[in-house]
Amino acid sequence: MSADLESPEAGDGAADPPPVTDAELASIFESEALAYLDQLYGTALRMTRNQADAEDLVQETYTKAFAAFRSFKQGTNLRAWLFRILRNTYINSYRKAQRQPYSTSADELSDTQLLDVDSRAPGGARSAEIEALERLGDPVITEAMNSLPEDFRTAVYLADVEGFSYKEIAEIMETPVGTVMSRVHRGRKTLRSLLAGYGSTDAVGGEQ
Amino acid sequence: MSCGNPHATACTEVIASISAYIDGEVTAEEYHVITVHLHECPPCGHEEQAHRAVKGLVIRAIGRTQAPTSLHARVRATFRSIEGQ
Repeated sequence: MSADLESPEAGDGAADPPPVTDAELASIFESEALAYLDQLYGTALRMTRNQADAEDLVQETYTKAFAAFRSFKQGTNLRAWLFRILRNTYINSYRKAQRQPYSTSADELSDTQLLDVDSRAPGGARSAEIEALERLGDPVITEAMNSLPEDFRTAVYLADVEGFSYKEIAEIMETPVGTVMSRVHRGRKTLRSLLAGYGSTDAVGGEQ
Repeated sequence: MSCGNPHATACTEVIASISAYIDGEVTAEEYHVITVHLHECPPCGHEEQAHRAVKGLVIRAIGRTQAPTSLHARVRATFRSIEGQ
């Protein structure tokens, strides 16, 4: 008798995994999901720009994630799943409460509303701009990041620091991949023009 | 907005894809087309370098963060109390 493991009708229901008990589920959650705490906290800090809110956001994310963990399909992308819960929790609980200068989604900003540096300077000016950028201190860069609209800031952070693919970011931010591409691109573009401003006001050391 | 030389792909198209290019989010074919363009068009080459520089700055300045030990403890404590219910 040949074993037909591919067919769902095969055998006596062995194709279905045995039901997972609550205790087993809790154990899987503890060993796998809690490992992402530092990453979730870093992202929460970037979203809220505030340590106390970031801590509460992570705590709430884990509470929700654990409650929903039975519906998580084991073997799929747990990290992106957790980040999506983080982002939803942020939107539902924090973004509304935080007094943010950007009440509308950044996607609604037109390109003309984004500052544009004279980026097409030919030849010699190019390396001068890049050298000036690279001399900027970390606090100035953090400040510029924090001033980005949240949609841009989160997309740039997830791509650059967490190294998520655009497809994963699309899943986390519940938006099409094309929108992710646009957010990352416009986020970097805005950062660049903000940083060009810092450079020209002689904030080279990053501290005033 | 251009180096004045004719290109197989318009500068505006290349610039619009520059972040995706840097992030490895373009197809092999697009990658090739953009790479050729960047080599023959200094202004677009500059755009690419500036975007790469910005990406590098974000990684350098912000990087990954460690959560406070107290948060690790708090999340575990909550988890244990939920689990115990």
